[in-house]
Amino acid sequence: MPHILLADDDIELCEMLKEYLAAEGFTLATAHDGETALLKAQAGAFDLIILDVMMPRKNGFDVLREVRAHTATPVLMLTARGEDVDSIVGLELGADDYLAKPCNPRVLVARIRALLRRAETHLSGRSGSKAAEALLFGDLQIHTGTRTVVCRGKTIAMTSTEYCVLEALLRDAGRVVSKANLSERALDRKLAPYDRSLDMHVSNLRKKLGPRPDGQDRIVTVRGIGYQYVVV
Amino acid sequence: MHRLFWKIFLSFWVVLVLFTAAIIFAASQYLEQIKAQRDASVRYETLNRQVAEAQAAIERSGIEGLKSWAREVDREEMVPVLVLNADGKDLLGREVPPRALERLQRHLKPQSPSEQLVSKIRPVARLGDGSEYWLTHDFQSVTLGRFLQRPRVIAAPLMVGVLIGALVCLLLARYLTAPIERLRRATEAYAAGDLNQRVGPSLGKRRDEIVDLATAFDRMAERLSALMLSQKQLLRDVSHELRSPLSRLQVALGLARQRAGANPAPELDRIEREIERLDELIAQLLSLARLESDTQPPAPEPVDLSELLQTVVSDAALEAQARHCTLHLEQRVPAMIQGNAQLLHSALENVVRNAVKYTAEGTAVTLAMTRDPERSGGLVISVRDHGPGVPEEMLTRLFEPFVRVGDARDRMSGGYGLGLAIAERAVRLHGGDIGARNEPEGGLNITIRLPA
Repeated sequence: MPHILLADDDIELCEMLKEYLAAEGFTLATAHDGETALLKAQAGAFDLIILDVMMPRKNGFDVLREVRAHTATPVLMLTARGEDVDSIVGLELGADDYLAKPCNPRVLVARIRALLRRAETHLSGRSGSKAAEALLFGDLQIHTGTRTVVCRGKTIAMTSTEYCVLEALLRDAGRVVSKANLSERALDRKLAPYDRSLDMHVSNLRKKLGPRPDGQDRIVTVRGIGYQYVVV
Repeated sequence: MHRLFWKIFLSFWVVLVLFTAAIIFAASQYLEQIKAQRDASVRYETLNRQVAEAQAAIERSGIEGLKSWAREVDREEMVPVLVLNADGKDLLGREVPPRALERLQRHLKPQSPSEQLVSKIRPVARLGDGSEYWLTHDFQSVTLGRFLQRPRVIAAPLMVGVLIGALVCLLLARYLTAPIERLRRATEAYAAGDLNQRVGPSLGKRRDEIVDLATAFDRMAERLSALMLSQKQLLRDVSHELRSPLSRLQVALGLARQRAGANPAPELDRIEREIERLDELIAQLLSLARLESDTQPPAPEPVDLSELLQTVVSDAALEAQARHCTLHLEQRVPAMIQGNAQLLHSALENVVRNAVKYTAEGTAVTLAMTRDPERSGGLVISVRDHGPGVPEEMLTRLFEPFVRVGDARDRMSGGYGLGLAIAERAVRLHGGDIGARNEPEGGLNITIRLPA
């Protein structure tokens, strides 16, 4: 049964969600402030961490930053509706996805499932029905079996979401992948208008991979359409 | 206190006193001069000079020269100089006082030795044909009226008085109106929505009634801004606070649905719908609060407005269909502007949905996007419905939050009165403006103007 850590200062909400998610087949541990959340995240092995941005003692961003320093556990940020910048900051700090609060619990469960599915294939090394293979693009190499990324001889740590985005782009390397297509393949959901998630994940990928040996961007944005991994 | 009062009072008073003094001084100076002329030697000297001048005039142009010289002297000099022929008639036809005639007689027929002495100086101008004209001063005609009519006499003091008066009045007027003008501009800017307008600091060290007025304005502005700010803050805080119970409500509903299993009570659907409405309202309130506090669009990027409009139209088409209405995009020009796509989208969407909501069943909503004829590179998007329109006095208030036009209708159609407010702020954030007007043949026309 997937084990989830929920950090939110609304105690009643946590209790109800615990009950709701239990019925959906998840066990839930809760923390009501940032420090406790960080301690629990570091101590226990969770399949997924849900972080509310607004928490006493340590806010969600700080917890996320410290969690990311140690582990690639998928993180779902709960951002406050009306604070759109929060989602961008969260994704930039390495969150896998975000959801604006108040949210429909059905949507929350769908997001949790999508994230877990991605992470599961990541961890277990299974990549659907496809056989494990190694893809090589110049100085970049990915192993779909172990889902590791090696760039310029160094292994690059990546969240499962970042890996999924990169793999989707590489499988169509040299071609433009539309945002809608990328969203469905990598994030497991339809592209919502004005959702910046993909942009942020791609931006994180660019930062982690750095430019090509010739100094050009690896991934170019095709305005209004999507992204392309450039093959020389 | 009353500094301005004293300034106005004193400056008028001082100018009047100075003016009067200047006139009196000029008059007394002139009277002195005339008195000096009565003195025999000075008088003969003047007369001699005038005779010489008259003779010179004759040399130049004969009798006409003498006439024009006489007219000139009559205009300029305080004391008229009569030009008499042997019959005692003045050359210019002026009235000749008896004493002047007497003097003329004496000159013509000198009797006593003293008179002989006088006639040694013969103030006579001779013409080429030998006829003689006698020049004589006419003191009898020196009156106040004549005095005031001579420009040379009155010109200098009058000029000085006028100039000083003009200068003082100009400075005074400027001194009075400049801060009032500043106050007016500030008030207008404040009315236009710039709540940071303050007048006091720009008036410097000045202390008077106008500054008191400016200070009062500043206090009022301060208070109003604080009130408005706290109102907005309240709205935002309430919306923020509403999110927590709404979150719990949503999870509680989820739990209720789980328990109900396969046959949920229809009330649960109803609850869900109402929760969604609440959620939507809070979302709108929060985005409005956000727009109010922003001063420029977040993350500006090139936006294809033409494409955006097309998207909005296709999205609203379904809604229109439900009311048997059509959406008609008449005209479109290619347009890229710098802005935030999400905000522009929500602005257009709110205006279009509003039109679809109010247009009469079975009618068309007409949209057009054209180049702004008044602003190069600017764009005009008009959305026109065939609904009941809006009472004229409500047209400007249409873009205020929670303003409803016809109460019953609006509640029926389920609006919150926030859509147009959001649209207005989003457009304004992009440096544009939005306005509404009733079409003469019925229906409302909302026009959005955006700069390049």
